[in-house]
Amino acid sequence: MKANQIPVGPFHPLLEEAEYFELKVDGETVVDIDMEIGWMHRGHEYISEMKTFTQSIYLVERICGICSTSHPIACVHAIEDIDNIEIPLRARYIRTLIGELERIHSHLLWLGLAGHFIGYDTLWMWAWKYREPVLEMFEIISGNRNHYGMMRVGGVGRDVDPEKIPTLYKHLDLIEKKMVMIAKAAKDDPVLRSRLKGVGILTHAAAVAYCAVGPTARASGVPGDIRKDEPTDAYDLVDFNRIVLQNGDVYDKLVVRVLETIESIKIVRQCLDKLKTVPGPVLNNVKEISPGEGIGRYEAPRGEVFHYIRSDGSNRPIRHKVRAPSYVNIPTFTASCKGIPIADALITLASVDPCYCCTERSLKIIDKNHDPQSIDLLKLSREKTEQIRRKIHGN
Amino acid sequence: MAEVEQFIKDMKPKISNIIEKKRRLYFNVNNKHLREVADYLFNKLGCRLSTATAMEMYHGLEILYHFSLDKAGQYFCPRIVITDKKHPKVDSITNIIEGAIWIEREMYDLWGIEFVGHPCMEELLTLHHPQGLQRPLRFKEGA
Repeated sequence: MKANQIPVGPFHPLLEEAEYFELKVDGETVVDIDMEIGWMHRGHEYISEMKTFTQSIYLVERICGICSTSHPIACVHAIEDIDNIEIPLRARYIRTLIGELERIHSHLLWLGLAGHFIGYDTLWMWAWKYREPVLEMFEIISGNRNHYGMMRVGGVGRDVDPEKIPTLYKHLDLIEKKMVMIAKAAKDDPVLRSRLKGVGILTHAAAVAYCAVGPTARASGVPGDIRKDEPTDAYDLVDFNRIVLQNGDVYDKLVVRVLETIESIKIVRQCLDKLKTVPGPVLNNVKEISPGEGIGRYEAPRGEVFHYIRSDGSNRPIRHKVRAPSYVNIPTFTASCKGIPIADALITLASVDPCYCCTERSLKIIDKNHDPQSIDLLKLSREKTEQIRRKIHGN
Repeated sequence: MAEVEQFIKDMKPKISNIIEKKRRLYFNVNNKHLREVADYLFNKLGCRLSTATAMEMYHGLEILYHFSLDKAGQYFCPRIVITDKKHPKVDSITNIIEGAIWIEREMYDLWGIEFVGHPCMEELLTLHHPQGLQRPLRFKEGA
């Protein structure tokens, strides 16, 4: 039987960046998937070669709106790797603080969207409500809710005002209390468990073959976490656990992110404790970058962000390579989407946390056995959750 | 580090220009040994292919692969130099590492490097762009 095709994208609510997926379906089952990227190629690598090292940091901050500090951290790591530049202790704690706050708000954002896709709008509203205090913490620290402009070669550009630390603790206490509540609700809910358990499994072998990173890989038993494997900044000075699960399904990806958020709160608290006592400065004066090459990486909320910089001794890079985690995680759909029902395709695609955008598109397909009809993947996904809810709780 | 020493010992005749830095190992490899080196790093050592960086220099095109040995926080970076800038060709490593499919397609797209043995050698980012354009990241003629 010839498979029908269902297009998802290039503009769709589950995709922040415009990307195109073509689901090949036989009846209700997805039998294959095609992916096309390149709808938003913005030429950052080329532009960076025309900027100074300092300007490049600001440029790469604009690659992603959600994990906007991961690229600058990886970028400064790459530049510092060329000359083995050391940074002050206080700056190491501040970098770690900013990176972990970003992980909390990114995971909460994903949790909310995942809830929305399967018809759990309460989870969505909770997660996004308690993401707000995180953004307020960013505003207190950097003056911005996003694009913080904190990273510099040799340290950070702005110190954390000690007078503001009590306010930051207050916000963190609230986030921790609510996060524990959300984690319990998400993990113990029988409907959520039935809806996500065993859905969109990425096996350990497939995760290794596709070189997957971040929570996508750790939910499949691949333990890679740059914060533990190559600890930079203050990651070797703080205590936290590496979260690794084995099943590779959407439920495990959710649990990995929820548990990581709680670990991140622990790290933020330790950084704030240290910032009360560790003295400055926060920036070493770096005047020149020698000719050479450097690799910088950072464990972004979605996985390893990779930057490679080559310098010829001038004030700008002659090559700047950037690889974001979604680039290696999205091809895993080839393995995780095959054999699943259409109603599960949406949450499986969303489970690797590709970037999201706000445009929804109704899809038209033509089935030779039926009249042309409109298929709404979001509606299908939510209807399946409702069926499970009725089965468990009754009407 | 034991893995680095063992790798250099095993691959010594096949690699050259070895540069060792803290947690980084850069070295040159010929095209005929690329698959063997990739197989060693991926299957024997258990490295993950982070990505590969292509760049154009005056002496030719370079591809620098980035293999990450996560358990040790170590990078192995084999470098290939292609002197034929008009028809650059390299063996594909996709039969060893499925994760290299997009990485090689992107280098074909932006630099015009052909990967021999790739299952789907077509543009990744500019598939629907007008045909006949120069590869976007190659030196412009006369520059």
